[in-house]
Amino acid sequence: MSPAEIINYFSSKNFEHVKIRKTLRILHRDLGYFIVGMTIVYVLSGIILNHRHDFNPDYKINIENFDVQAGTPQDYPRSRIEDVLDNLPYDLVYKKHYVNDEGLVKVFIESGELVIDPQEGKAVMRYLQRRPVFFEMNKLHKATLGTLWKWVSDIMAFILLFVAISGIFLLKGKRGFVRWGWWWMIAGFIVPLVFALLFI
Amino acid sequence: MFLFSCGQQANKQELKSENTQVEALSLTVDQLLEQAPELADQQVVVKGTVMHVCQQGGQRCFLMGSNEDITIRIEAGEKIGAFKQEQMGSELEIVGLLKEVKTEADAHNPGAEHGEMENAEDAETQEAHKILAENQEAAERVFFVEGVTVKEL
Repeated sequence: MSPAEIINYFSSKNFEHVKIRKTLRILHRDLGYFIVGMTIVYVLSGIILNHRHDFNPDYKINIENFDVQAGTPQDYPRSRIEDVLDNLPYDLVYKKHYVNDEGLVKVFIESGELVIDPQEGKAVMRYLQRRPVFFEMNKLHKATLGTLWKWVSDIMAFILLFVAISGIFLLKGKRGFVRWGWWWMIAGFIVPLVFALLFI
Repeated sequence: MFLFSCGQQANKQELKSENTQVEALSLTVDQLLEQAPELADQQVVVKGTVMHVCQQGGQRCFLMGSNEDITIRIEAGEKIGAFKQEQMGSELEIVGLLKEVKTEADAHNPGAEHGEMENAEDAETQEAHKILAENQEAAERVFFVEGVTVKEL
């Protein structure tokens, strides 16, 4: 069947007669309702992830530079490090620490790290806080939850594709696909196509 | 039915053999890197402290050995999904396939993610990336682990 024949078929009375259009309408409606939540997740996280080079989409990163008492790395055992953490305006939990070749005391804390330069008496702390809701949405979007979610999101994507394609055939007449919709559809293809041709 | 049963049997045997191999190859990062040429393309278990988790998506992390000059890259892969920033400083036990970097596709330039630089990189992250890049440059052969499972110790 040529594309013109397919379009004619879907626009014909025969198509109405076999009630395909009605079935499509029902499926489009119900699956459309079903896919709203997933579409919101993908759209909102997609916008955030588009800007991932402007800011971290998953975490708010708090950085604090402050002075500590100068000395040697040995002056910073766990108890002293915990005192330093207690004086910072966050609820920080010590995990472990080590001293590197340059004499810096590197401290791992829950959701971050602290680097103390005992010789200079300087310290810098980096503490990460998850962005509520967006952290979870971004993980869903990036499909980094394991194999099961990969297949679930594939199915949801196919449903979204079905909703988009079935929408083409729902209306007939003056504002139907044949007399009106195809212009809009082609315009929608042209936008990404132009960018692909110019920038890829 | 017969074929199905045989298939199951084969799978069980494969799993058993993998488990035996896993038990035999539980290593620290230092031990793993020392034995890496012999263990390449085999399943290994490695334990270490998470020194760095890639900030954009956590697709990989670096486990530290006895000091920060001894590190190995762990790719999360599909089964692990992603590492979390909260895992930094945690002791992890990774089961995975040890691989050698042979092509550009296997390599990971710390500081670059999906071929793009992490623009919003802070000083601490830059420092971690510098150490990791130096470690890779110093090594004659670079190895990494394609993670299959992860356990927090």
